[in-house]
Amino acid sequence: MTEQIELFVNDEEHFITVDTSEMLVDVLRDRLGLKGAKIGCDRGVCGACTVLVNGDPTASCSTFAWRVDGARIVTIEGLAGEEGALDPVQQAFFEAGALQCGYCTPGMILLAKSLLARNPHPDRAEITDWMGANICRCTGYKMIIDAVEIAAATGEGQ
Amino acid sequence: MTDMPDLRVAGVQAPRKDAREKVTGAARYTVDVDLPGMLHAKLLRSPVAHARLTRIDARAARDLPGVHAVLTRDDLGGLQPTYGYFIKDQPIVAMDKLRYVGDPIAAVAAQDEVTAVRALELITFEYEELDPVPDVASALRVGAVELFEDAPMGIVPAYGRGASAELRPRPNVCYRFAYETGEDDAFDHCDHVFEDDFVFGRQQHFHLEPFVTVAREENGQIEIWTSSQNPFPLRKELSRVFQHPENRIRVHVPYVGAGYGAKNNCKTEPIAILLARLSGRPVRFCMTNEENFLTQTQHAAKIRIKTGVMADGTFVARAGEILLDSGAYADASPLVAEKAGYRLHSLYKWRHVKTVCDCVMTNTSPAGPFRGFGGTQASWASESQIDMIARRLNIDPYDLRLKNLLALGDPYVPGESGMDSDIGEGLRLVADRIGYHGRIRTPGRGMGLSIGFKDSGGVNKPASARIKISTTGAIYLQCGSIEIGQGITTALSAITAEILNAPAERVHYPDVDTDHTPFDQGTNASSGIVVMGQAVARAANEVKARVLEFAAGQLDCDVSELTLDDWNIRRGNESHPLNLMIMRTYGGTGFEFTGEGYHKAEMDHEAPLETRCVAWEYGWGAAEVEVDEQTGLIKVLQLVVSGDAGRAINPAVCRGQDEGSAVMGLGGALFETMLYDGVTLANGNALTYRVPLATDLPENFVSILQEQGHGPGPFGSKGVGEGCMLPVASAIANAVEDAIGVRVTEMPLTPERVLAAIDARNST
Ligand code: FES
Ligand code: FES
Repeated sequence: MTEQIELFVNDEEHFITVDTSEMLVDVLRDRLGLKGAKIGCDRGVCGACTVLVNGDPTASCSTFAWRVDGARIVTIEGLAGEEGALDPVQQAFFEAGALQCGYCTPGMILLAKSLLARNPHPDRAEITDWMGANICRCTGYKMIIDAVEIAAATGEGQ
Repeated sequence: MTDMPDLRVAGVQAPRKDAREKVTGAARYTVDVDLPGMLHAKLLRSPVAHARLTRIDARAARDLPGVHAVLTRDDLGGLQPTYGYFIKDQPIVAMDKLRYVGDPIAAVAAQDEVTAVRALELITFEYEELDPVPDVASALRVGAVELFEDAPMGIVPAYGRGASAELRPRPNVCYRFAYETGEDDAFDHCDHVFEDDFVFGRQQHFHLEPFVTVAREENGQIEIWTSSQNPFPLRKELSRVFQHPENRIRVHVPYVGAGYGAKNNCKTEPIAILLARLSGRPVRFCMTNEENFLTQTQHAAKIRIKTGVMADGTFVARAGEILLDSGAYADASPLVAEKAGYRLHSLYKWRHVKTVCDCVMTNTSPAGPFRGFGGTQASWASESQIDMIARRLNIDPYDLRLKNLLALGDPYVPGESGMDSDIGEGLRLVADRIGYHGRIRTPGRGMGLSIGFKDSGGVNKPASARIKISTTGAIYLQCGSIEIGQGITTALSAITAEILNAPAERVHYPDVDTDHTPFDQGTNASSGIVVMGQAVARAANEVKARVLEFAAGQLDCDVSELTLDDWNIRRGNESHPLNLMIMRTYGGTGFEFTGEGYHKAEMDHEAPLETRCVAWEYGWGAAEVEVDEQTGLIKVLQLVVSGDAGRAINPAVCRGQDEGSAVMGLGGALFETMLYDGVTLANGNALTYRVPLATDLPENFVSILQEQGHGPGPFGSKGVGEGCMLPVASAIANAVEDAIGVRVTEMPLTPERVLAAIDARNST
């Protein structure tokens, strides 16, 4: 069964005919060529596929595309500004070196964005709690938490 | 600390080379490779652990619309059907037997994954079940069914002084490594001999990017894009399996979404290539996270150590037996056995050492390389027992270690290279940081220390590098080290830039492509800095010498008058732009300078493993825990780890390695393990296999980066990335005993095990 849906992905409007069994991550990666969202566990656990759906961090591997008909979706490709200027959270991850293999990084950055949008000045415990939603097998998390602290201090989300 | 040279690019805090691509989502991995007309592959896996495969019928699957190729044992077309490291026992798809739940039986390539899965359901097969061999104990039972009735093809490499090995020393043991030095009767002269048993769990690598390969075969060329740590040995193995010339197999490695050892040698590659060959189309074979669990794991182990000491705490002799659970195929087990066996007695002075390590076959997922590579198992047992002995002798474990540790420069064993860190200094650092000395005793709380180590740099491992500089000063650093997250492109580019007196941004590190990249044996064994780093430094010095010679010829002067300053030649206070000098000589079309570098530790038959260890990688650990005696729950209040980078080429990258490996160690210490219910894996997926999250970090988690300056790599550097994994579990177990007086000897240290140990204490 197919359905026609409308998605606003990184501020661009797309009309797409999707199979009702199709997952959002596949639409983003295979139809729109946005390869930044990664599939790790494919079960809604690791968060490598995290994108923002109407501002909420969402496991796109476990979200049917038709469910987000009409939604505003932000992927990692949608963050950098004019001429590749990094978004403050990206900049913080860049500066803090808060990545290794990088497979979790797009999801981690979007997860952090959603935190700072809700709470522009989280303390370290709040950051740790929120970032505990996604898995990073490489870094040991400390540098990721540092990066979110830096992003918060530089005023992201205000 | 030795005097360190002033550095400009290396050794200073700089962004990672891959950071921009990775924070913007632009970094490309094998999972992102998409070729026109590409098919998708899926695998049919064995539902039983041990059986003879009597019949397989895939006709219905072949006839399903959208299916382009089906691969069973009948479709191998005369290929060498098995692969492996020292022992070639693992079939591409099941031949005569099924050896674990998940053993590949057949594969399908179809227009999409859904069709491929449907086709798999149409394949029928029959089997005769055999007695399953779920664990080491049942594998070694007299009269146990053998996984391999006939000896698979295998080799034993040459070993040096004191080391030896044997294929199939007994039923269900594919390999035995043994090491011995000193006099056997040393035990007779000890005041005490302690014998203790330890059990080590089994972690899964849990790399987020699954095993994945995209393959095509065109005009007699096999071409793959694959998530691999060792493309050159992989190419050689594929050449043997496919009886295809190596120079007609081309391996590309995009960014790798981590591996931690898992992505060495054949994984998804043979099946992807075969399906591409059978279908005539490009094929993508990407496993699921669940399939990762069925493909590669760490080695569970049973370890017995016997240690002889004097009453004053002087160590005398140590003997050990390790039984590694190798799973269903030999994979890298023989190599892991070498390292586990060789490292078990640890960094202390002994008059006698004797270790045997057996690789035991069981009907479970194949175990292979895992960060720490046998060192994790060895450190767990060895460093736990050191504390047990200290308590029995009523000596502080810190003092007992210091009393017996090897000193800087002492050879590890006769014929081996010397210690290249002050080990006591590292121990002092972590102990001080955690507040070990003069601590105030609080009920239920305790502290523990541990020193993990491994030999790093691989055995007899060669590496080569090429550096090219174009007319305009664009630098190409071509070498086979894979960027798997460890930051190797950043580090090697910094070394290149440092030597060429250029900004790091001018160095480009092209993707690894076996058709163009110089040979490397693999990104493993923490060898990037100490082996490849030296090859890169040589290549940089060679190309620099060429440039200076060229300039000296042009300026009609002696080379010694010239220095390279960015892309200009300096002579006194004159500066000559090199691009202009080059074009004056070679014309407007320009030129490229090339330098080559090679490095390998020398063969040395006196060294037990045939080359002296390139560098020693240490991980010092200190933990403070609070144990709830009602629930058995361990809360890690403090975890302090430290590694010695010799000279950190990029301090933040080193810190990330130390913290990442420590947290992986923390998972293995407290909860991470593959749970088998008989032969069935009970927690082989992301929902039920628990890896550490940010919320699992101890309140006070600190890594201290040492730069003691004794490394053999460029500027005194040495490898990091595995060391800090090694001390964590034993430091925590030691802290638990310090806290509540009970010893847990089995990993992970779950509440059940802590409670059982408390019960045992209370009942004696
Ligand atoms: S891939 Fe979606 S949560 Fe893991
Ligand atoms: S950087 Fe590799 S998983 Fe996070």
